Amino acid sequence: MTRRRFRASATLLPALLAAAPLSALPTMVRLGYPNCASCHIAPQGGGLLNAYGKGIDEAQSLRAGEYRPSGNPLVKALGWGGRITQDFRSVTLEQLSGGAGQPVLGLTRGRIMYRNATELGKGFRLSTVISAENKSAPRPALRYDLPVRPRAAYVGSALVSYRRGSHLEFSAGRDPLPNGINIPDQGLFVRSRNRMGYYDNPTQLKMFWWGKRYHINPYAFGPSGTEQRGQAESGGGGLAEFDLLGKGTTVVGMNLLHGRARFGRRTLIAPYVRLGFGKWGILAEHDITTRSAIQPAASRFRQSASLAQLFWAPREWLVAYFTGERLGVERPYREDLAAGKFELVARLASQVTVAIGARVQRNRLTGRYSQSVALQLAMKTVN
Amino acid sequence: MRVSAAATLTRLLLLGIAPVITSPLSRAGEPAEAIAVESASATFSTGTNVPAVSVKGKSSAVQLRARMRRGGQGTIFESIEATLPVKTLATGMNVRDEHMRKYVFTSPDGRQPDLRFESSQVACPGLEPGREAACTVSGTLAIRGVPRSFSMVLKIKEDSGGTFRAAGDGAVKLSDYGIEQPSQFGVKTANEVRLHLDFVARRHLAASAAEGGRP
Repeated sequence: MTRRRFRASATLLPALLAAAPLSALPTMVRLGYPNCASCHIAPQGGGLLNAYGKGIDEAQSLRAGEYRPSGNPLVKALGWGGRITQDFRSVTLEQLSGGAGQPVLGLTRGRIMYRNATELGKGFRLSTVISAENKSAPRPALRYDLPVRPRAAYVGSALVSYRRGSHLEFSAGRDPLPNGINIPDQGLFVRSRNRMGYYDNPTQLKMFWWGKRYHINPYAFGPSGTEQRGQAESGGGGLAEFDLLGKGTTVVGMNLLHGRARFGRRTLIAPYVRLGFGKWGILAEHDITTRSAIQPAASRFRQSASLAQLFWAPREWLVAYFTGERLGVERPYREDLAAGKFELVARLASQVTVAIGARVQRNRLTGRYSQSVALQLAMKTVN
Repeated sequence: MRVSAAATLTRLLLLGIAPVITSPLSRAGEPAEAIAVESASATFSTGTNVPAVSVKGKSSAVQLRARMRRGGQGTIFESIEATLPVKTLATGMNVRDEHMRKYVFTSPDGRQPDLRFESSQVACPGLEPGREAACTVSGTLAIRGVPRSFSMVLKIKEDSGGTFRAAGDGAVKLSDYGIEQPSQFGVKTANEVRLHLDFVARRHLAASAAEGGRP
């Protein structure tokens, strides 16, 4: 790839198809799992699975076997008698993208992660995610909201958590902010345009309180230290969701956030739903962000990002996703984008997941289309 | 013509009684008619010790046989037999289904007998065409071939064409059947399992007539 083409791809690709880490499955709402705490160690979801989650992960794969914890003495020793849960995970993306009058760009991106959660006893837990990659995938560089500068190796999460009982947890440290429907694809407008890209891991203090029908998650956050000048943001918010019918399949929620940086402020109101109907379901979110920018020019404008995703699982291990997106930004940074994406994800075993997807985006102001296709392979160690 | 008070009273009484005499409820001694089920499904759900994890399953392979007759006490259902092959119960996860069949429905001798409900007679006093009635259905429910007393309240509605729509809820305790609560990686199901039954059935007039009212 020439340098010019690479520069073009660096600005185009984030708007197209970012590598979805395939680590969180909000689609499990179809089987009556209303939140993430059942299967993931962290109640926010994503990341390492608990033992039950590993069982479900294996059961939902093509192999559909039984999860059995490793009996290897070395693995047991590294696991500190069951107190440490850890894995290595890699995500490799092969992507082709282009638009009318533009060259076709190819990209191969590899990312490897080490994830660790160590139970310290008395309810305390340390968790860490360390990542390294060959090519970065920052969220779009907007004049009023510059992305975190990516680095080849970085700490994606470093948290100290304290769990009291089985319903309440407090966490402090660096981590992605809580978000509504929790789709892992950071390239979606609802995430990439609301500072929820792959490298946005602000310092936080957050609480999770959940039960059979509710999940409440207030949080306060500050800069991570990796933001660009003037973009270090502090603020707070809260996420609350409720299972309407009590069957774990009809979750409605709202995420509210207010953040203040030297170069601007934003207030996010993000209602969302997760609905499951056995083999299929619907995830939808509508984010309204009111922004006040000081740099590059004083302005106040609104941004709206919407997502609706229909998913269908013809087999437990095979899920098809049909996603529609819309982004609107008012003057002076006017944008009007619509996008559609199809993705087919096959979980071959708990260690291996393959995804193939295609995305089309239309700029409704210019009438231009851009397309991308991607093949993704995610692998992890399971012990 | 002068009509005496006694004659008027007699006429009023007759007018009032006539519908009662001719109503279906009063036709005691009607032959029993077979009930043919058009569709039926059974669902179950149970909680676990983890707040947001519950287990739900469904089968649409419920087979139901019964006879009905109108009597002085309303509608009476007789010889009720319902069966549900355990292999048709699905929770949406094959591995979990296997666990369920293995830990819940397999008897000590290794068999997986169908779930079976039997009741000799159930009276539904208020059931008549166009009107919904709640009927307590009592009988025995066998799981793993072990029969235990079981009752549930069914809301039944019969339309004018002889079609019944019924739905009801009940609950069983695994411990009543000597079944240990299944547990997987720290997630343990509750002892109580809630059941829900839905079915649409029709009076099987032709069969009843051909068989002299005895299916």
